[in-house]
Amino acid sequence: MKFMIIRKADLDTEAGMMPTEQLVTDMLKYNEEMIKAGVMLDGMGLQPSVKGARVKFTNGKPAVIDGPFAEAKELIAGFSLVQVKSREEAIEWVKRWPAIDGGGNVEIEIRQVYEAEDFGAEFTPEMRKHEEWLREAAEKRASAGN
Amino acid sequence: MRFMVIVKANKDTEAGVMPSEQMLTEMGKYNEELVKAGVMLAGEGLQASSKGARVRFSGKKRTVIDGPFSETKELVAGYWLWQVRSKDEAIEWLKRAPFTDDEEVELRQVFEMEDFGAEFTPELREQEKRLMDEIKKKN
Repeated sequence: MKFMIIRKADLDTEAGMMPTEQLVTDMLKYNEEMIKAGVMLDGMGLQPSVKGARVKFTNGKPAVIDGPFAEAKELIAGFSLVQVKSREEAIEWVKRWPAIDGGGNVEIEIRQVYEAEDFGAEFTPEMRKHEEWLREAAEKRASAGN
Repeated sequence: MRFMVIVKANKDTEAGVMPSEQMLTEMGKYNEELVKAGVMLAGEGLQASSKGARVRFSGKKRTVIDGPFSETKELVAGYWLWQVRSKDEAIEWLKRAPFTDDEEVELRQVFEMEDFGAEFTPELREQEKRLMDEIKKKN
């Protein structure tokens, strides 16, 4: 099963506060453990919402709103993608998240990712093949880097 | 530069309502354009928050709260990861997405190594690079 691990934002991440060397060390150690266990698929940090934007669609018409956005707890500061055997395993890994993050005060959300087997007949065999092709091509692009 | 494109949840995504075949087809076409343009790096859909959980850290305390979560507009329903030359390019791509109702999508710039300062020491950067390479190899 795949899960998205979401590190919610807070006032510090929104202010662009850089992680300390200790936190970077702890985070890399944590990621390394997940990689060695064959659990970690991806992960990254997000810059404050002042560097971002929102597009609101109304009847399909887009309207752009520039960041920053006021409600820090509604925002994401970072995420990981993990592959585990169960929801419980995902929760156990999350409990081991670096304890000094957010000065010991942080909220992490765990959400299950849709995989091909979760869809029914509306996801036709043709669509499934197309999706596989898209994923492979995207992964190649991602590996190629900048 | 990389951007995370976050599709917010709504009543339907939280109820596990599947997108129509029409929407799946249009989204498939859109994703194909993103891939052909070399923009698409990754993308995933998230199941309803009733299948999820939150872990709250407070000092040494770890509290697990099961979903569902009521603040629908705070929730993520899916995301893409895009490689673009600028925030404006990301916005232009996003405006072309086949959203037909009242969706809200957020664009957030990803931290790259060069965005960090001295706290990300040369040794730590080496380690990060090694870890990212290992992830690519394993997948």
